[in-house]
Amino acid sequence: MSTLVEARRPGMRSLLTLIRCEAKMVVRDTAGLVVPLCLPLLIMLTSASGASQTVVANGRTALDLYVLPLVFTMVIAIIGIINMPSFLAYYRRSGILRRLGVTPASPAMVLVAQATVSVLQATIGITTAVLVAFLAFGANPPVDIGAALGVLALATAALYSTGMIVAAVAPTPNSAVAIGLVAFFVLGALGGMFGGRDALPEGLAEIGGWLPFGAAVEALSSAWAGTAVEAPQLLGLATTIVVGALVASILFRWE
Amino acid sequence: MTSVEPAILAENLAKRYGRIQAVADVSLRVEVGEVVGVVGTNGAGKTTTIELIAGMRVPDRGRVVVLGLDPRRDRARLRQVLGVQLQHAHLHHALRVTELLDLYRSFYPDPRPTDELLDLVELTDQRRSIFEKLSGGQQQRLSIAIALAGRPRVAILDELTTGLDPKARRRMWGTIERIKSSGVTILLVSHAMEEVERLCDRVAVLDAGRVIALDTPAGLVDRAGATTLDDAIVTLTGKNLEDAA
Repeated sequence: MSTLVEARRPGMRSLLTLIRCEAKMVVRDTAGLVVPLCLPLLIMLTSASGASQTVVANGRTALDLYVLPLVFTMVIAIIGIINMPSFLAYYRRSGILRRLGVTPASPAMVLVAQATVSVLQATIGITTAVLVAFLAFGANPPVDIGAALGVLALATAALYSTGMIVAAVAPTPNSAVAIGLVAFFVLGALGGMFGGRDALPEGLAEIGGWLPFGAAVEALSSAWAGTAVEAPQLLGLATTIVVGALVASILFRWE
Repeated sequence: MTSVEPAILAENLAKRYGRIQAVADVSLRVEVGEVVGVVGTNGAGKTTTIELIAGMRVPDRGRVVVLGLDPRRDRARLRQVLGVQLQHAHLHHALRVTELLDLYRSFYPDPRPTDELLDLVELTDQRRSIFEKLSGGQQQRLSIAIALAGRPRVAILDELTTGLDPKARRRMWGTIERIKSSGVTILLVSHAMEEVERLCDRVAVLDAGRVIALDTPAGLVDRAGATTLDDAIVTLTGKNLEDAA
């Protein structure tokens, strides 16, 4: 009897259907959709006007080198550290992952779909910020576009890895939001979200530069200015990815 | 009824969670096309038994074969022919009925058409409804439709009609009878004796993680010297059915 059953894993069609469903879940979660797109944009609008007049290096302004890297990092961090872990915690708590576990689909497909949708959401947020910055405030492109895109990808991976740590340790959806918010604000504060790392005590500023938020802002700023991205930032981002992957693989539970 | 190879074969299953021996010794043989009920009081080991059979948990002892497949080793193959409805409907709360059906259908090579599934569980009028806006009974029926989306040869249904009003319960029984008539083997966990009597060919009575009786509903009544299945289960387990939640 068993020989009649072939092992066939769901293919790309299933994954695309799941991605579409995840996208609908995100779109129908109004706060989760709007906050990561609008909050960073609002911060940019409040500071872009003055910052766009101050040239800092290589013809690039404070808007290019300080505001845009911060806005990009905020978009990715809100989605990666707050939104994505709360979705995964909700799926685990409500038993959706358990329900999927009794179908031919792997619960890991949910992770891939959720990551795909949140990267898409982050891309929309960043693109919107870029368009507004370029069209309304005369922002300049990065001196080294390749380096900027590379750093953006690295920063995304690092901030999502941080989110996976949150998803792995949070027992409930509420705690995922709480831990995610605390992590976001602590990493953000140490990474210059509230007025630049220069204002922090030296030790904290140093630590903030290694942590994923500060490292992402700093590395994006360097790439935009066309200067070499410094080793501590790259090392900080790479270490976060490795630690996030390790913690998630050890602690993340599907049920 | 007897065939060479059973649809489900469980032998001497045991499962412990910490200090609690959820399943002590369960053996069960379900023939192809049969509907077998699993009944027992709260904590008797019903849900753990079906989770072991579905491959959702690994037994400490014993073995399970479903349609000739080992639920753990042949997981990918078994998932294509096994439909499982869990005790509570766990689905994406913000998706519409058809979106959920299409999602779960996409996991199988030859799924039932969406319209057929909607018709089967009488949800055609709710096809555009968001899952969280459905009534408890409608959510339960959608969960059954999803369990049947991949044309399973074996369906495991846990607490099928819990929380449904009498009318919805009877409608659900009609649905299960239609599924049964299409040749699907069904393992049905229930504490509603009227449901078990109407739907099941045989009934396994669990108590303290063991099968203490396995017979037709009428056979259980005779064996216990009772007049109803409710009374028979009380006599066999020595426990009141009020505890059977």
